[in-house]
Amino acid sequence: MILLTFRDLIYRRTRFLVVTLLAAVVFALLFVMTGLVEQFHREPFDTVEAFDASAWIVPEGISGPFTASSTMPSATMAEVDADVTAAVVTSRSSLSDGDDTSEVILVGHTPGSLGTPQTVNGRPAEGPGELVADTSLGLEVDQTATVAGVDFIVVGESQDTTLLAGVPVVFMTLSDAQDLVFRTNEVVSALLVDGEVRALPPGTVALTPDAVAEDVLEPLEGAIGAVDLVRALLWVVAAIIIGAIVYLSALERQRDFAVLKAVGSPNSSLIGSLALQAALVALVSVALAAVIQMFLAPAFPMKVRVPARVFWQLPLLAVLMALVAGAAGMRRVLKSDPAEAFSGAGA
Amino acid sequence: MTIGPLIVDELVVEYVHDGYAIRPLDGLSFAAQSGEIVVLLGPSGSGKTTLLSCLGGILTPTSGSIRLGDLDVTAIKGKGLSAFRRDQIGFVFQAFNLIPSLTARENIAMPLLLSGHGRTESLARADELLDEVGLADRGNHVPGKLSGGQQQRVAVARGLGHNPPLLLADEPTANLDHIQAEAIIRLLQGLRSEGRMIVVSTHDARLVPIADKIVQMAPHIDAEEQPTHQVTLAAGESLFEQGDRSDLVYVIVSGEVDIIRVLADGSEEQLNRLGPDQYFGELGPFLDFPRSASVRAHTAVELTAYSPRVFREKILHKH
Repeated sequence: MILLTFRDLIYRRTRFLVVTLLAAVVFALLFVMTGLVEQFHREPFDTVEAFDASAWIVPEGISGPFTASSTMPSATMAEVDADVTAAVVTSRSSLSDGDDTSEVILVGHTPGSLGTPQTVNGRPAEGPGELVADTSLGLEVDQTATVAGVDFIVVGESQDTTLLAGVPVVFMTLSDAQDLVFRTNEVVSALLVDGEVRALPPGTVALTPDAVAEDVLEPLEGAIGAVDLVRALLWVVAAIIIGAIVYLSALERQRDFAVLKAVGSPNSSLIGSLALQAALVALVSVALAAVIQMFLAPAFPMKVRVPARVFWQLPLLAVLMALVAGAAGMRRVLKSDPAEAFSGAGA
Repeated sequence: MTIGPLIVDELVVEYVHDGYAIRPLDGLSFAAQSGEIVVLLGPSGSGKTTLLSCLGGILTPTSGSIRLGDLDVTAIKGKGLSAFRRDQIGFVFQAFNLIPSLTARENIAMPLLLSGHGRTESLARADELLDEVGLADRGNHVPGKLSGGQQQRVAVARGLGHNPPLLLADEPTANLDHIQAEAIIRLLQGLRSEGRMIVVSTHDARLVPIADKIVQMAPHIDAEEQPTHQVTLAAGESLFEQGDRSDLVYVIVSGEVDIIRVLADGSEEQLNRLGPDQYFGELGPFLDFPRSASVRAHTAVELTAYSPRVFREKILHKH
């Protein structure tokens, strides 16, 4: 069975090579799309986790601090009975570095308290006019950047702090953010708490970090659904490619299978040979795809985070899909009549 | 390797094609012994391949029986047929039917490999058979690099993989020149001497001298010898039936006849009605085919019956 499979693959190598490459491109796109969906899902959780808070306090009726216009008096903080409390300001804004203007999410925090980001380069913002930017903005430390018309000096860079499908977060001191967003220090967007919350001010609710992250995901549901649909379509395309090559192979080798049946070869061996061929094409395609996706991923505007589990799940699913897609070809083998071995003229 | 006599008894194969019932085999009987070469002789369409398919357990006959030693071949069903073909039958096909991606050695070994024999054992058996058919030095050639005769010898070797007691060969010399055909005929003679029964279908008369038994699939009709004579029929009387042997050509002197074809469901379809000076029934005797339709007198009719030769000389050449 193995010999028959490999010899046929070699005999029709050009066709199998073309099909394998085609399927590999499709699988590479599947890797990338899966990486995008993973990034969609993990991005808000990672970013919200970076605030180090066990709960977010926002006004009642507000779904979350990043998706709604959330405002509350700064004095509310005094009414919270918790182990650690800090105020934050969140707002959509724009950042310009002279050449390009980017949409950003502005976060104001109390230096050294909850909401202060971990930096991979430089240090957190500690005083007026200082800014920490996500690495995806490509800014350098000591560079000047303009946020909402006000110049800031970049003092540090944070990593994996994006929201809403790649919109970078920039961090500044609470007072700078209040000046930019509210023109007053009397208002904040939300309160961060850590540890036990013993009492909440009236008219506020406490959201878990997961609830905040899930709220950020809400506006992206449509985009995630679209990517999922593309993923499903890519599976269909891969199935058609592999199914077609297996069917064509069965069609062209109908006489061979008829002869082998006539000489007493069991159906299981013949079908097994075709199934092995389908599985091999799928596996080699996925292996090639794993390499191709490394070159494709950087071309995408969003970070592509292919989870490690996908590298064993995708080959497994691909083999299953190839077997299902090849079923038509295998059925043809099953139905091939050994009497066909007698028909036709000489080879 | 010997298995006992092959007994074919009243074998009938009937199938429906375009609404008509076709009987490529109609009550065929013969018997053969181990160590004999049986030649099935007849033109295309005479049922040779159909008979081979029945003998090889590929086709189930409509009625009749085939016994090979103690085995009732016609009673074997399902997976048992695969096992029967694998263990008892070797096939050699007219079209060679070697797998183009495999070498000669692998082609011979493949049926053994697919039925669960080990790789080393199967390839060793293939080497043995390649040596037997005189192609020990061609084992690693793919079919495309072998001549027709060499391919047919590889095909014979493949048929012998399981050392079957019965070898069925379908027109084994049809695609070969006389030198290659001679090599195959010599090979078949050698295989018979090992005690194997060989059934060969052919229309190649070169195989006749080596046959121990000849089965005429379309009996030769000495129609030339029949003198020209008059035939009279009353209305409704039948001249001949569909499937009868063809021997004479008829010219209508007076009256009318109906040309009728019998359908698969037993009903009849009138193809034509012929009258004085028209002739019918010429193709069957010319081509050695059985009658393709029945002829019945529509009215009282007088006919002249000619042998094909006389009809060709006296009637056909005048038109």
